Amino acid sequence: MNRVSYAMILAGGLGSRLCLLSEKRAKPAVPFGGKYRIIDFTLSNAVNSGLFDVGILTQYRPLSLRDHIGIGRPWDLDRKRGGVELLQPFQGWQENDWYRGTADAVWQNWSRIDERDTEHVVVLSGDHVYRMDYRPMIEAHLERGADATVAVAEVPLEQASQFGVVRTDAAGWITGFLEKPKNPPSGRISMGVYVFRCAALREELWKDAERDTPHDFGKNILPAMVEQGRVLSYAFPGYWQDIGTLDSYYKANLDLLSAEPPFPLEDHRWPTFTPSTENPPARLGPRARVRSSIVTHGTIVNGTVERSVLFPGVVVEEGAVVRDSIIMGESWIGPMAVVDRAIFDKRVHVGRDARVGHGEATRPNRDCPEHLSQGLTIVGKATRIPEGVTIGRNARIAPDLVEEQFPAAGVPTGEVLDRA
Amino acid sequence: MTPPILVLILAGGKSERLHPLGRLRTAPALPYGGKYRVIDFSLSNCVHSGLYRIGILTQYAPMSLHGHIGIGRAWDLDRRDGGVRLLQPYVRQRETNWYRGTADALVQNRNVIADAPARHILVLSGDLVTKMDYAPLIARHEERGAMLTMVTVSAPDDLSERYGYVDVDGEGRVRSLNEKPAKPDGTTISAGIYLFRARELRERLEAPDLGPDLVRDIIQPMIASGESADAHPLDSFWRDVGTIDAYYEASMELLKPVPSLNLHDHDWPIYTPSEDRAPAIVFGDGDASMSLVAHGARVEGVVRRSILFPGVHVGPGALVEDSIVFHDTRILPRAVVSRAIVDKGARVGEGATVGAGEPIPNREFPHDLNSGLTVLGKGAEIPAESRVGRNTIIDMGVRETDLGTREIAPGSYIRARALRRR
Repeated sequence: MNRVSYAMILAGGLGSRLCLLSEKRAKPAVPFGGKYRIIDFTLSNAVNSGLFDVGILTQYRPLSLRDHIGIGRPWDLDRKRGGVELLQPFQGWQENDWYRGTADAVWQNWSRIDERDTEHVVVLSGDHVYRMDYRPMIEAHLERGADATVAVAEVPLEQASQFGVVRTDAAGWITGFLEKPKNPPSGRISMGVYVFRCAALREELWKDAERDTPHDFGKNILPAMVEQGRVLSYAFPGYWQDIGTLDSYYKANLDLLSAEPPFPLEDHRWPTFTPSTENPPARLGPRARVRSSIVTHGTIVNGTVERSVLFPGVVVEEGAVVRDSIIMGESWIGPMAVVDRAIFDKRVHVGRDARVGHGEATRPNRDCPEHLSQGLTIVGKATRIPEGVTIGRNARIAPDLVEEQFPAAGVPTGEVLDRA
Repeated sequence: MTPPILVLILAGGKSERLHPLGRLRTAPALPYGGKYRVIDFSLSNCVHSGLYRIGILTQYAPMSLHGHIGIGRAWDLDRRDGGVRLLQPYVRQRETNWYRGTADALVQNRNVIADAPARHILVLSGDLVTKMDYAPLIARHEERGAMLTMVTVSAPDDLSERYGYVDVDGEGRVRSLNEKPAKPDGTTISAGIYLFRARELRERLEAPDLGPDLVRDIIQPMIASGESADAHPLDSFWRDVGTIDAYYEASMELLKPVPSLNLHDHDWPIYTPSEDRAPAIVFGDGDASMSLVAHGARVEGVVRRSILFPGVHVGPGALVEDSIVFHDTRILPRAVVSRAIVDKGARVGEGATVGAGEPIPNREFPHDLNSGLTVLGKGAEIPAESRVGRNTIIDMGVRETDLGTREIAPGSYIRARALRRR
């Protein structure tokens, strides 16, 4: 029997706090860092750690993710033994149900684990940016004979309430597991990276399936297993960023631009794999001024780009300025246009002289103040912003809008422009 | 419907005139345009033209090319039927020889040519950079029932010793092909792209006294015999990259405001195996313009009118201008690289200058290097605070101890001791 040979990646959630970016794609499929999708980090960690048999649990809008993963070739996961498989909800002989939670998703696919003859299983999340070798964690799990091992990161105390906070004894065994506590006792949180002994996990999933719970690893399975006393913590000291909100998405992208990045993306010992596009090298024209930015193959810059991430095929025309922004693939920034603190989905078209992210961030977004309050303006896929129009901060512009749908006065700070 | 065609790409020749750039690779394997190899153009042209049965004839230093081609996946040439094959010289029971020339290479592969289900054989010179749809060439070749149709272009420069000049009559027939004439007649030259009717080419390859050269011993006799040899003019960008100057000019063409070779062409992408590199990053006081920058490049200094291949690092305070820098080369802080071609994995030390002083022609090869370019071979190391003059060649693997001085005079040729002994 293999000891640890299978990994499951949870990639099915709704990700509503990423606003427009995850409206039509699962969060793990959201573009990130110039050429990646968020799930590339977890998948690359898995193969770089020697895990070549991976199931990806999908439910919410899996098309984009499925296209991205394909047969797994970029990760060397197109294999005869092992490889990658997308596990969608399915209809069975007796029961039909959507995945009712992360734990239920694994439970419904338990046969996948059973038929593999693996003693332990690794469960990962598809929406984290980090570089982690899972092998030392697996070793600790085996050596200590744990039922479950939970990777633990340290975050600032004020952020800890968004996560599962763990309490441990001196030997590293977890004694308490508080999911999203109001008053977190510490900043030591669960990263959503687990190794389980299959038999122990099976028992908990079985019990949980019968109960009326959210069927969630953090809320139900781990607290129950902690009761049994065999849950180990594994401290992970490196950079780890959960991409839960627009602000964390923005921050994690910009973290890559610092002179001392949290981890080098360009590392031949630990490459981050992704399908590549057939694009020529970035072309920086005669008037280009590129500072502290990421540029990718297929981008063409003739204007000014500062502290920004440009995805493949983005064009910044002469006299245009892109500042503190994340611009996804094939967007076009017209001549003399200014884009400041914005996140653009793919193929956004900004007309000449238009301004996106203008003025002071005097108020949060009318519709989703909790996600858009830090001054970011977000523009949905393929929207065409007319020439000369001004869009304020904390604004949200729907996808697929055309020029005629914009009011001549523009979109003020904190406003929303939706489809009619 | 494309008739069945076998493509043979000639990629085995040694390009002496590329000096260190051609020491470990043939011209077709030369990096080009920030992420490609020269042969990517021919291979991409083939697959875009619907030609999927390709043999690549290799002989000189083939490792680089073999590694690049692999099983042909990047071009969708890992196919059940057809695909790409590397054709190397091999030992036989009776007579064994290296390929003694381009025609001999075909003769030694006549089994491949005989067995291929092909009505025509397209022979391509592997050191060409051009985007060409072969379909109109094939259509014309079939329509006019020619035995040979050769592609012609107008000479991109007047270096007549590099080209074969073609005399074409009013009906598009080739009257003569003069290789490397002292005084060329006209400006129409052969593009190194030949489409043969398979039957006649196979016959000629069987002739017992056939000479070794494709042009001299097969093509010129075909034209002289009065059989139908047609010209097919090509009016798009076309360059061969057999010399340092030709390679440099063909590369710099890509940096023009409107380049005559558009790499951003969604209808005719150039395929190449991709590397798993991070996106390019410009940070600190880094600043780049009029340049092509590939993934994995990190720019902390100033880059002007240059091409940076994957993984190049330009340190703070460094300047790279009018240069081509291959993979993973490091330009350390405050160094200056001006009008240089720097091969892979080289290192320009802190405060060093590459490309300094008067452009005195290279003393050993004045004919090959006189335009002011400096060439650093693979893995060459230039010590901190040293100056390398223009028209200088620093051979691959040269270390500080090989230089002996921090002032390398213009026009020098510095070799590594280890290589000299060989």
